[in-house]
Amino acid sequence: MDLLDADVTETVHHCGVPPVITAYSTLREPGEAARELARQLRHAELGFVLFFCSAEYSLERLGPAMNAAFEGTPISGCTTAGEITPSGYCRGCIVAIGFDRRVFAVAHTLIDDLEGFGLLQAQRLTGELLEACRHASPTLEGGQHFVLTLLDGLSSSEEQVLATLDTALGSIPSFGGSAGDDNRLAHTHVYSDGRFHSEAAVVVLIQTRLPFEVFTTHHLRPRQEKLVVTRADCQRRRVLELNAAPAAEEYARLVGLPVTALEPAIFASHPLAVRIGEQHYVRSIQGANDDGSLSFYCAVENGIVLTAMQPAPLLDDLQLTLQGLRERLGEPVLILGCDCFLRRLELEALGQVDEASRLLGVAGVVGFNTYGEQHHGMHINQTLTGVAIGSVPTA
Amino acid sequence: MDLFQPPELPDEWHERERVLQEENARLRRICASLIERVESGGVASGAPYASFEHSVLLAEQVRERTDALQQALTELHRAKAEAEAANLSKTKFLAAVSHDLLQPLNAARLFASALDEHALPDDSRRLVGNIGRSLKGVEALLGTLVDISRLDAGVLTPDIAPFPVTQLLDVLAEEYRQMAAARGLELRYVPCDAVVESDLALLARVVRNFLANAIRYTPQGRILLGCRHRADGLEIVVGDTGLGIAEAQREAIFLEFRRLGVESSDQDRGLGLGLAIVDRISGMLGHPLRLVSQPGKGSLFSVRVPYGPPQELATRASLPIVGGQAPDSLSGAMVWVIDNDPAICEGMAALLGGWGCRVVTAASLAQLEALVGDDSADVLLVDYHLEEDEPDGLAVAARLRRRHPGLPVVLITANHDAALKARARRLGHECLLKPLKPLRLKMILMQYLAGQA
Repeated sequence: MDLLDADVTETVHHCGVPPVITAYSTLREPGEAARELARQLRHAELGFVLFFCSAEYSLERLGPAMNAAFEGTPISGCTTAGEITPSGYCRGCIVAIGFDRRVFAVAHTLIDDLEGFGLLQAQRLTGELLEACRHASPTLEGGQHFVLTLLDGLSSSEEQVLATLDTALGSIPSFGGSAGDDNRLAHTHVYSDGRFHSEAAVVVLIQTRLPFEVFTTHHLRPRQEKLVVTRADCQRRRVLELNAAPAAEEYARLVGLPVTALEPAIFASHPLAVRIGEQHYVRSIQGANDDGSLSFYCAVENGIVLTAMQPAPLLDDLQLTLQGLRERLGEPVLILGCDCFLRRLELEALGQVDEASRLLGVAGVVGFNTYGEQHHGMHINQTLTGVAIGSVPTA
Repeated sequence: MDLFQPPELPDEWHERERVLQEENARLRRICASLIERVESGGVASGAPYASFEHSVLLAEQVRERTDALQQALTELHRAKAEAEAANLSKTKFLAAVSHDLLQPLNAARLFASALDEHALPDDSRRLVGNIGRSLKGVEALLGTLVDISRLDAGVLTPDIAPFPVTQLLDVLAEEYRQMAAARGLELRYVPCDAVVESDLALLARVVRNFLANAIRYTPQGRILLGCRHRADGLEIVVGDTGLGIAEAQREAIFLEFRRLGVESSDQDRGLGLGLAIVDRISGMLGHPLRLVSQPGKGSLFSVRVPYGPPQELATRASLPIVGGQAPDSLSGAMVWVIDNDPAICEGMAALLGGWGCRVVTAASLAQLEALVGDDSADVLLVDYHLEEDEPDGLAVAARLRRRHPGLPVVLITANHDAALKARARRLGHECLLKPLKPLRLKMILMQYLAGQA
């Protein structure tokens, strides 16, 4: 038996410290909240901290407070549209995950110029992250890598950044979420190097010998109706016309409601998707504008065909997905989930939040509600996307 | 009515025409958008939606390839599992067949040994001797096959106990000294007082193989049997001044059916399985093997065995050294034999009778009890595996011991299970494996009778 395997096994099963620790704080004062998290997460082998916080916090104070509380341990994170804590859905709090350096080698970086992020930059960034990982823990050599991306959810550059980064990452699986701001659609932030940034992205490379699976799931099924985008403002992610009629009007006709009744809960329960090949990819609506156009959370283009979708039971799909992960990986040490905030809106509308919280809590899911998810370089909407990490190292 | 005046169209007709025209205009615009989209498709542009589409297509390709790979892997796993299952069933078949062959062979050996005890003309005696040797050869081959199939099937479990290494090596030295002498070789044995922890029988197979090979591949000179004290265990060493093994062949000789280029004579038959068995046994016991050799100068094989705690020494006396003429002390001894195979019973009766024993054979306990009444015996020989639904050999022995306390018992079994051997030993029984070695049986009987005297 490989000594390295023995090492990991011991960490997982024998030492008091599990390889991943999760914690959350509902304290409102940034310093107190940061210190409460640190008390739960800090130990001698803590190698990296990932956190997701409500945008209600004073980010100016929370940034330095996190840095101080963890005394130089590398930290990445972002703001949310809701948090998933070890006890389920939460709002207005901070959830954090501590990674043991003996089991995970972690390297992270910030992309602060999303517009100028080209293939060259992506390749350099990938090389640097891989090198940093090797440096962080030479003993984990041979472990597999995955990448977590956290993007400013209102930057409108997810698609290009992701496509470019994915090309550079090659076969390394990647997933992530777009930062949120509690549905205010004003300021979303990612956290790196001690402070919050907007118009930026965090890239985290994680290497481990534990088995893991990057997954995505949704519960939406196609209907018959099709809407063709006949006028769009690509830069601002706006659809002006659907089927050569004002977009909001046409969408309202589809869902059988007056234009004035259009709101996020309706968008959540009546999504639109593009079909590529056999798959449907939901393109979520952000809001209806005064000029009769619809804003989207993702790129749109003139001439694309949107298929009306309808939800199947979300909880059934969630349960099946979590069960499948457990069957394939065994008892997970962590499931990190990027969960579209529209899913949460739907659960709230159906009164199923508590049941969903129970399922997520039992399965060990932590994460946040996003303004969009990322999966293998694709910017997707209204999904639960993430990584599940098993507890028994692969031989 | 003026036929040339066009008729006034009703209002709803106008309305309908207007709606249709609007619909037409919308459809044209939808068409135009779709045409624009189709015509711009496939062009690598920096537009955000195109980036998304590009990522989706890439991911789709990756997914398809992964699926294909996954399917190929699944196929491969299935094929591998099938091959392994087929291999295992062959192994089991081999084990079963070998086992079934041992039974009649056992009987044949007993008959031949018994025949040898009779007063025979010299010609016949020579023939009987040849038959005996041939059967012994077959038995050795079959034993090897059983061993390797049992090792492969994973049914052989080691029976680890501490014992002084002399208990093993004294016997082997004596046995192989004669074989070496027959070949004109000198066997030097350096005794050692260490206590080791191992499976005595399995370790004996390893050292026997070393010794047999040393004799086989040494045309002249010396064989050395001795031990080296190492920090992490006792190294049992067999050295020779023989042909040696070239570097390139050192791995191969541990594979099945490999023999080095030496003419095999009649006494020297073998399957080339010896070192393959050694390799498996040492792997199972966790005893590292070592081979040092110089072509033309000789070879040195060794196996490293962990030291045993001297205080936990097994209390069993070592077997008397085999060899020379056994004293004729068995005459008149009463031996009971229980075996459900009539051929074995008959063979035993002939063999034991030839040694001067009085023998009562029976197929079951009930039959024996009917035959012997209140008489007692000096030794009970009982087969472990009796008829289905009948108590097994150990149960029979226990029943008889209640009526005859201290009755010496020899359990005979084809079952190589270490647990069974250990059970028999705990009850104070001797345990002999089929095919029965007549000489071994004789030694045990003599030991028991000497103990009683």
